[in-house]
Amino acid sequence: MRRDPPPQSDPDRREFREEAESLWRINLAPATWAAHFVTSYAIAAVVCAKAPALLPHARLALLLATGLALAVILWLGWRAWRQWDYRTTGDYTNALGEAEDRHQFLGHAAVLLALISAIGVVYGTLPVLLLESCR
Amino acid sequence: MTGSTARVDHIAPSRRLLRSSALLATLALSGCDGRQSVLAPGGADARVLGDLFWVMLGGAIILWLLVNGLFFYVTRINRAALSRRFANGLIIVGGVIFPTVILGALLAYGLSIMPDQRAPGDGLTLRVTGEQWWWRVEYWPEGAEAPIISANEIRLPAGQRSEIILDAGRVIHSFWIPALGGKMDMFPGRETRMSLHPEAPGHWRGQCAEFCGASHALMAFEVVAMAPDDFALWLAAQEAPAAPPADPAGIRGAEVFTREGCGACHTVRGPEGRDSQPRGAVGPDLTHVGSRLSLGAGTLGTTLEDFETWIAHTGAIKPEVEMPAYDHLSAGDLSDLAQYLKGLE
Repeated sequence: MRRDPPPQSDPDRREFREEAESLWRINLAPATWAAHFVTSYAIAAVVCAKAPALLPHARLALLLATGLALAVILWLGWRAWRQWDYRTTGDYTNALGEAEDRHQFLGHAAVLLALISAIGVVYGTLPVLLLESCR
Repeated sequence: MTGSTARVDHIAPSRRLLRSSALLATLALSGCDGRQSVLAPGGADARVLGDLFWVMLGGAIILWLLVNGLFFYVTRINRAALSRRFANGLIIVGGVIFPTVILGALLAYGLSIMPDQRAPGDGLTLRVTGEQWWWRVEYWPEGAEAPIISANEIRLPAGQRSEIILDAGRVIHSFWIPALGGKMDMFPGRETRMSLHPEAPGHWRGQCAEFCGASHALMAFEVVAMAPDDFALWLAAQEAPAAPPADPAGIRGAEVFTREGCGACHTVRGPEGRDSQPRGAVGPDLTHVGSRLSLGAGTLGTTLEDFETWIAHTGAIKPEVEMPAYDHLSAGDLSDLAQYLKGLE
C-alpha cells in the first residue's frame, strides 16, 4: 500500500501562490500595450470611416489613452524592478536555480517586457501625433 | 561550334567569371535608368519615395559596417574577453537604445511623408479599370458629366496633381508608374485611389504589378505628361469623334472593320448620334487608336506592320488574350484594316 505524499507546508504554498501571481504580472505590460494598440486601431478606423469631423477629439482621446497606458506600464515596471532587486543583490542573470533566483528572474523578465511595451506604446502613438488627417 | 564560342573556351575561368559578372552588373544597372525606374523619378511622389530609398540604403550600409566592424574587432583585433560592464553597456546602448531611436526616427520620417502620397488632386480625375490584360481609361475633367474614354495610355498635365480612381474587371491588378509614384492595387468591385504629380513634361512606362494571368507581364502602358495647354488640346481631340481616313485603303479598311464585326467589342465613336458602328465595350476603345504610342497595352509599337501583326496573331503575341487572331484575312484586307486603324488619329 502506497503512502500519501506529505502535505505541503504553508510557506511552500505561499511561495507558490506568489510566483503564480508574478507569472501573471509579467504579462500585464504587454497586455496593456496590446489593449492600447487595439483601442488606437479601432478608434482611428471607425472615426475615419464614419465621422472624420470627430478626429481632433479622437486624437485627444488616444493621447490620453497613451498617457494612461504608459502610467500603468511604468508602475508595473517599477514593481518588477523591485522584484528583480538587482541593486541589492548585484545578481544580473539569476543563474542559480533557487526559489529566490526564480523570483528575481521573473522580475527581470517583467522589467524587459515593460520596457518593450512602453516602446511599443510610444511607436503606436507616433501616427496620432504626426498624421493630422485621415489620409 | 561557332567561332565566338571557341574563343570563349580559351579564356581562363576567372576572366570568364569577370566577364559574366560585368555583363550582369551592366544589365542590373541598366534597370536603374530610363522610363520605368523608381531611381529616375519624374514625379513628386516618386521623388519622395526615391529619397526614402536612398536614406534606407545609406542607413543599411552604415549599420552593416558597424555590425561587421564590431564583429571584426572582437574576432580579429581584440580577442580578449570583454569586461562584463562593457558587454552589458553594449547590449543596452547598442541593442536597446540605438535601435529604438533609429527605428523611431525612421517611423516618424515615414509617417511624415505618408499624407503626401494620398494628397487630393487639383481638378482632373482619371478612372482606370484593370482588364485582362489592358487598361480601360476614363478622363473626367473638373465638372464633367460624361467621361472622355481612352485605353492603354495615361496622359497627365505636368505640374498638377491628378486624382486616379482605380477599379478592376475580373481579377486583381496593380497600377504602377515607377517614375511617378507608388503602386496601388485594383480590386474588382472596390475602388481604390491614388494621385500623381508629374513635375515636368515627360514620357514613361507603367506596368501591371500584380500577377493577373497568362499575359500579366504584357500588361503595360505608355505614360505621357504634357504641358497643361498641350494636355487640354490633346484631351479636346480625344473627346472629338473619330476622323476616319479618307484615302481608298482607309475606306476599304473601315468596310473590313464592319464586315468582320470588330465593333461588337471595340468602339469607334462616330459623330454625335450617327455612329457607323455598334459601341462595343468588351475591348479597348479605338476611336483614336492611331494617335496612341503602343498597341496591345504596351506590347507592340504603332507602325502599320505592328497593326497587321497584332490583328493577325493576337494569341501568339499575348497568350490567352480574348481577342481572336484574324489570320483568315487576306493580305489586302489586313493591310487596309491596318491603314484604317492607323488613320484613326
